[in-house]
Amino acid sequence: MRRVLTLLGLLVAALLLRQLLFPASYDVRRSQILLGTVVEIDLHGADASRLEAAVSEAFAEIARIEALMSPINPSSDVARLNMTTAPLAVHPETASVIAFGAELAQKSGGAFDLGLGRIKALWALESETPHHATAEELAPLLRDLGPGDVSLTDIGMAQRAPAVAVDLGGIAKGYAVDRAVAVLSRAGEVWGSVNAGGDIGFVGSRPDRLWRIGIQHPRQAGEVLATLSLEGGAVVTSGDYERFVEIEGERYHHLFDPSTGEPARRCQTVTVVADGAMLADVLATALFVLGPEKGFPLVESYHASALLVTVDGAVHTSPTLSGVTWP
Amino acid sequence: MTSSPVDPSALAEARRSHFVALFTALAVGLHAVDVLLPSPLPWFRLGLANILTLVALFLYGDRAAWTVTLGRIGIGSLLLGRLFSPGFFLSFSGGVCAVMLMCGVRRFFPRLFGPIGISLLGAVGHVSGQLLIAWLLLVRHPDLWRLYPWLLLAALVSGLLNGFVADRVLEILRRHPAFAEEQG
Amino acid sequence: MAVSALWRRMTLGDRLLLFVLLALILITLPVTRSQGKGARLLVEQDGAVLYAAPLTASGRWRFQGPLGESEIEVAHGGARIVSSPCPHKLCIALGRIAHPGELIACVPNHLLLRIEGESASSHDLITR
Repeated sequence: MRRVLTLLGLLVAALLLRQLLFPASYDVRRSQILLGTVVEIDLHGADASRLEAAVSEAFAEIARIEALMSPINPSSDVARLNMTTAPLAVHPETASVIAFGAELAQKSGGAFDLGLGRIKALWALESETPHHATAEELAPLLRDLGPGDVSLTDIGMAQRAPAVAVDLGGIAKGYAVDRAVAVLSRAGEVWGSVNAGGDIGFVGSRPDRLWRIGIQHPRQAGEVLATLSLEGGAVVTSGDYERFVEIEGERYHHLFDPSTGEPARRCQTVTVVADGAMLADVLATALFVLGPEKGFPLVESYHASALLVTVDGAVHTSPTLSGVTWP
Repeated sequence: MTSSPVDPSALAEARRSHFVALFTALAVGLHAVDVLLPSPLPWFRLGLANILTLVALFLYGDRAAWTVTLGRIGIGSLLLGRLFSPGFFLSFSGGVCAVMLMCGVRRFFPRLFGPIGISLLGAVGHVSGQLLIAWLLLVRHPDLWRLYPWLLLAALVSGLLNGFVADRVLEILRRHPAFAEEQG
Repeated sequence: MAVSALWRRMTLGDRLLLFVLLALILITLPVTRSQGKGARLLVEQDGAVLYAAPLTASGRWRFQGPLGESEIEVAHGGARIVSSPCPHKLCIALGRIAHPGELIACVPNHLLLRIEGESASSHDLITR
């Protein structure tokens, strides 16, 4: 009897030691519709209740940012900004996003623009009645467009040029992913990912191997164009295939060229790998408009890398892109 | 009568403990061979050390079997540098389950099974214990149990092999005068 | 020869045990072959799970969203949205999902169909 007890004691002690040396791992995976897309969060760690709390907090954080920056919500900073041409006091986070967007508008020579709200509203691609905008309709909307159309005053108030409407579409999603990643990282020894409709931010790195991220093929649904092996950071794709309408056989997508007010025509899809999702988001939008020759130097200047498919179907990769495998 | 070198029971006891120690040492050696032997599948081991556990069980009973097994696992993992690694816990739980099953069955049905049957039971106990611990501690995924039939098949092969060898060894040992008066 | 030597050394109990083991293995071996079809369909709305059942549970279900009722169909191990009050019917156009990790979202009607289970995909995530 004593021997049995001793053995049992040994086994319990061994199990306790095992728990100390190799903690159990849990996986919390949840998705929610936010930012006009599906946001999926996947978080691994040792403490299940802490993971659950962190994931809930991250979704709340994304909802909070959506409330600040959505053009639809009438009390958001963006909606209020579009109701006045005077400088407006906005939330410090909205101000910092606008500051970053304005910097990129400058650096990209206007390929990225925070003031595309009226252009998007004119095309109304996401409504029930999309409209093929004509050059006459577009001309007055293009007047004020360009670097500086949306800016911050010296004292940090937000301001827009009269002929533009603010739209943070190409930047707010990335910012929200970055914020969610920051919230999740506070949960201690965890790893995982935030995926907002293909805008992906990583929480730490996988303990076993690199992240394997498939890039959606722009013309073959469900097929992967290439696979990226990444340690962490963020990866964002802008493609013409996700949200588009066909008007008289022509494909009109949601990525507009600020110089013409028409959907940009150089690329089919652009994927940017960067340290943060907001940076990757903005760079992907700018690169989509610029194309590889002008766009890659911009991407490199932010220590990011990119893979893109031009409209003729040719694949280009920026010189610093590593870890790509082709199927 | 006081204890003296010629006291037959003391002599038998000394002989027993010497042989148990020898079996343990041999088990450690066989265990090392087993681990170092190339294996077609990463989780497949012949479990050769169980031959010594069987011999100890049939010659000297439960207690000797426990000593050989636990001694082999402890010393073996120290030597191979696996003490308290995940592999150690798998080995430990497998060994404990195997000996519990072998001793238990042999106690309740002493005549029903020979060394080969007991060896089969030990091998089955070993893989079951390992899988249980792996499920409890490493991968809580129901797919893990899909491995069970394959593990049982491996246990069947290694159990037959080890039981056969143990039976031969026991046959030879029992002819030797040093083991003449032992049970079994 | 070796087999007969082995056989001769076995007691009746040993032989019985061997047969029981063999039978057990033969019975359970087919289990190892059925792969990853333990997938479940989840229907979610604003973070709340409205429906969760194995994909093998065929049938049609209706779910109330902000715009009205959406109807989903589960059949032959897959799921799809068959009717939706949303303007573009993109969710219907997305077709059928059957593999773990796949999802259909109807953003306007706040409905999310997702298949849960061990993913066989070689990718952690897809960027699109």
